[in-house]
Amino acid sequence: MNTRRTARIGVDIGGTFTDFVFHDEARGITRTGKRLTTPSEPSRAIIEGIERLLSETGSEAAQIHSIVHGTTLITNTVLERTGGKVGLIANAGLTDTLEMGRETRYDVDDLFQRAVPVIVPRYLRRGVAGRMLADGSEREPLDEEALLKEVAFLVDEGIEALAICFMNAYRNPSHERRAEQLVRERFPELLLSVSSSVAPELREYERTNTACVNAYVQPRVHGYLDRLTADLESLGFVGDLSIMLSGGGLTTIEEAKNFPVRLIESGPAAGAMAAAHIARQIGEDHLISFDMGGTTAKMCLIEHGQPHVKHDFEAGRLERFKQGSGLPLKVTVIDMIEIGAGGGSIANVDALGLMKVGPRSASSVPGPVCYGRGGQEPTVTDADLLLGYLNPAFFLGGEMTLQLDAVRDAFERKLVAPLSIDVETAARGVQEIVNESMAAATRMHLAEKGKDPRDYAMLAFGGAGPVHAYGLARLLKVRKLIVPMGAGVISAFGFLVAAPAVDDARGYLAPIGRVDWDQVEALFREMEEKATALLSSVGAGDGAIRFERQADMRYVGQGFEITVPLPNGSLSVDMAPQIQSAFDEEYRRLFDRVVRGVPIEAVNWRLAASVPAQSISLVHAPIDAPAERPAREVYFPGAGRVLARVFDRYALRPGDVIAGPAVFEERESSFAVGPEGSVTVDDQSNLVVSISYPN
Amino acid sequence: MTGKYDAITLEIFWSRLIAVADEAATTLLRTAFSPIVRESNDFATCLLDVHGGTLAECSGGIPAFAGLLGRTARHFLRTFPIDSWSEGDCVITNDPWIGTGHLPDVAMIAPIFHRGRLVAFSGSAAHTPDIGGSLGAQNKEIYEEGICIPPMHFYRGGVRNDDLLRLFLNNVRFPDLMLGDLEAQATANEVCRRRTVDFLDDTGLDDLGDLAAAIQGMSERAMRDAIRALPDGVYRAAVDADGFDDHPTHIACAVTIAGDGMTVDYAGSSKQNGRATNCTMNYTQAYSIYPIKCVLDPHTRRNEGSYRPVSIVAPEGAVMNAVRPSAVAARHLTGHLLSCAIYQALAQVVPDRILADSGGAPALRARIGGVNSEGERFSAILFASAGMGASSRFDGLSTTAFPTNSGAGSLEALEAVGPILFTRKEYRQDSGGAGEFRGGLGQVVEIENLTTQPMQVMIIGDRERHPALGVAGGKPGACAYARIDGVTPVRLKSRTALAPGSRIAINFAGGGGYGDPCKRSALALADDVRNGMVSERAAREDYRGGTAA
Repeated sequence: MNTRRTARIGVDIGGTFTDFVFHDEARGITRTGKRLTTPSEPSRAIIEGIERLLSETGSEAAQIHSIVHGTTLITNTVLERTGGKVGLIANAGLTDTLEMGRETRYDVDDLFQRAVPVIVPRYLRRGVAGRMLADGSEREPLDEEALLKEVAFLVDEGIEALAICFMNAYRNPSHERRAEQLVRERFPELLLSVSSSVAPELREYERTNTACVNAYVQPRVHGYLDRLTADLESLGFVGDLSIMLSGGGLTTIEEAKNFPVRLIESGPAAGAMAAAHIARQIGEDHLISFDMGGTTAKMCLIEHGQPHVKHDFEAGRLERFKQGSGLPLKVTVIDMIEIGAGGGSIANVDALGLMKVGPRSASSVPGPVCYGRGGQEPTVTDADLLLGYLNPAFFLGGEMTLQLDAVRDAFERKLVAPLSIDVETAARGVQEIVNESMAAATRMHLAEKGKDPRDYAMLAFGGAGPVHAYGLARLLKVRKLIVPMGAGVISAFGFLVAAPAVDDARGYLAPIGRVDWDQVEALFREMEEKATALLSSVGAGDGAIRFERQADMRYVGQGFEITVPLPNGSLSVDMAPQIQSAFDEEYRRLFDRVVRGVPIEAVNWRLAASVPAQSISLVHAPIDAPAERPAREVYFPGAGRVLARVFDRYALRPGDVIAGPAVFEERESSFAVGPEGSVTVDDQSNLVVSISYPN
Repeated sequence: MTGKYDAITLEIFWSRLIAVADEAATTLLRTAFSPIVRESNDFATCLLDVHGGTLAECSGGIPAFAGLLGRTARHFLRTFPIDSWSEGDCVITNDPWIGTGHLPDVAMIAPIFHRGRLVAFSGSAAHTPDIGGSLGAQNKEIYEEGICIPPMHFYRGGVRNDDLLRLFLNNVRFPDLMLGDLEAQATANEVCRRRTVDFLDDTGLDDLGDLAAAIQGMSERAMRDAIRALPDGVYRAAVDADGFDDHPTHIACAVTIAGDGMTVDYAGSSKQNGRATNCTMNYTQAYSIYPIKCVLDPHTRRNEGSYRPVSIVAPEGAVMNAVRPSAVAARHLTGHLLSCAIYQALAQVVPDRILADSGGAPALRARIGGVNSEGERFSAILFASAGMGASSRFDGLSTTAFPTNSGAGSLEALEAVGPILFTRKEYRQDSGGAGEFRGGLGQVVEIENLTTQPMQVMIIGDRERHPALGVAGGKPGACAYARIDGVTPVRLKSRTALAPGSRIAINFAGGGGYGDPCKRSALALADDVRNGMVSERAAREDYRGGTAA
């Protein structure tokens, strides 16, 4: 038996399914799997799924080199407000920061909107005397006695975790550190989240919130990760276990237990990492990644092989698609836009008599009408079926037969009758409306960055992504579209191509002309040492670690920052002109102008440390079968219903060129290209589509 | 369905036009320098038809303002007739009687041509960093408040009017920032133009005439349907506020519902006073329509059609219809009150759909300025909110603005800008008006002068003597007040020196309650007491009529 550790496994725990991907490059095996998620005990589905993959591939646990894991456990805990009972220690007189938040209404038209529920109720937020000033000097010493008395009160109240956040701790954390030390000595069992460790950045509300959410999810995350580690050990697994961060890098179990809030977008990050990998493989420098599933569509920009990241994220929204209805966090996440447009999005007629699609979704249960599982309301997938995009006899590779009659019936009842139109028109309407709303969201996401979609190629995946990719690309006037093989499971491959990474930051606000550069150097050295220690512990050699220094900067007086890459090498006063021009360049890139005569200042200093990404090859050997299936009629906007050739994707060969209209069927999805598109199969089995436009 | 558009086409086209206005807003928001644009959402963008009626208004910003741009555009069309506009023009004004009601707000309207024909206008309004003049509610005439630009060409045929610009920039404190923000705003108009032309190209439409009629017709019909559903009648209410010096503000309001039309008449209200708390009819229009739309038809997308069924009238020379050369810089002290009067009147017809008075109607603002230890001047604006009024379904939101939606910034950011220390920012216990649904709590913000020299504190607010009233048996919220070192009262329209080491505590008002306090659920009351939002004493006395809770 070969016990070389060459197999790698990716595991994605989603709300409904836990997805697996097994890849052993040495043995040439790639295999995917799916289990129902076991919410009360998530590690059970993981263990069962891995056991099954091992047996299917004739492998042993000892052959697993590494397991990479992404989870929606944290995001769901926050969304469902099922975390632990948390206490907060803050400055006396300022304990309401957490609940007051930004003091805005997220929907200005709704007089009856609710307050965003606070995760630490007021009676569990306790103030103690002690104050740091904005320059880091101590104004008033920490009242240690009061601190311990208040924590004792909270412990008596039964808190499971404690957050500590003091004003200006981003600048001088010594009160928080001292408080942490005292609490650990007196209450060694209590889980602790300290703001200057979790998110040492300017802005007390967001920092407090981040520390509190970290504390809130900690009890569940600890229980879960301890259990998973033990279960994998008893399975005979001796390799590395790591977890995907929201920014797409990997981290250790220990780090994940200390800072679980950084895993908040762990699941969605995988899709973007997979897309980035494909972008690198095909050498596409400007790419829009478009991932459409059952409930939502997600768009993100990938430039020069890297997804855009941002350093703010709003979790646990009261209304999923309304900005401002959730809890803003200071964490590094992949910068993506998510809207309520998916295969399960429900179409209806609103009070004005207009057709609307989403954001309500039939999800996977009951699912679209055509699944025949009790869905009664017409969905996007149902419209796609009526318009010829899906093959009723070859859905999920033929495992499910789609119910065309039931779909017609639902369209008749819900759309045709109220609008006095025919079924075909209604189906076209559903598809056009959902494509338009995805196009609008994409345009807006790019507009916020000052970009034009016409300058980008698009990569489509997710179960519904390829179905809608052509229509969306045409609306955005995108000229090149790439549809990778395995569109429905490609996200999980993101776990296999991600690499260990650390995103860290320190707040220190100063005009560039007055920065104490020795101090900045010290901050960066501290961050670099921490990152090096962490990355080395997961096997990175010293030379392999890449550091990127950045600063969040703005014009003095401006209320928002942009993240600017800093020049390489030690920072000193001599570098100020270079930093100014780096700022100018970035500001101009984003906003097409610079403001003369206004000094700039830095707010936070950031370090991104990473090791080179993994590369895997997913070359697919074509099956030996006729590629072409019977042609069928498909509707394309502008062209109407046309006869399209139909292909079995698994039988296509690299170099094949097929002119639209055509449909490409695979197990988890189906891609339809209209008369203006021409498809080439590349050597990675991607369908590469070039789309022509008049003039 | 309306005209030649079916339910699908109209939905798609309408959404596209909203996206056009929103993309213009995104452009403005991300390139504007003025922190007031970002922090307090003080901007608007819209697409207008050739007659100057709004067709699509941006979703963010101040909701009342986008609709106003229609009035601005129609005023411009009287000065510059329709056939005088050329491609590349952009007309600007900050005249409070034409734009959004005070000098710092600049409005711009630019024409949109398609295949050589004028098919629409783009509109924008935004708060600029500075407009010259002196700040504060004590000004008597508009001339003291800064430079006023009548409708003039900022761009003519694509060429910038540098003569105007030189004059303009010579009269403001931060000319570089001002120029940047004017250009940002012009760019937003340009994005609106470009996207509208893309839309016409994509759809093959020659112009927006029929589409505008269809969209505005739908919004108008939705509003008329909502009005028609209410019983005809005249519903009156009045609210009072501190006003200025010995001139309290009295807002009388008669809401007449007749068939599918509504009139709000402010006859009987205070006359305009000699101070900056007056507002122009434009601002009155905006802050009357917005609260009405929220009650009657909150979900239909706003445009000119939404406003046609409602007429807002006020006698010339009334405090909400001030005539030149009245000062208007603090116009929100009057304008924000209108929502309270309208809701008190509508409480007689649709008590389940309105809010009790909000403590933040009008909003209270404070600005702290002085000199730091390096001898440099600094200035910090405190954005913080009072409590919202309660409704028939929920407690009022604590420390949340209504009818504006200005947020709160970071205290750490303010402390980093100037030598001030925040010693308190917490909920004011018992400040929410008692009721079955409690008014939102106000807050207390306490600030200490860390320097060795006095600082200037300027406060512009109200509700010192006039609390936010409750509805349907709900009690009023707590009044606002300010004190230095716990003893010296500070008026809410004043400039005061804050001595070194002294602290000023500003107490923001609470919102009015809704319904009989005795009916408040025991669970909600117990929760309030446990969390210190309501004291045990108030729970006993205000909610349980003196008997044990």
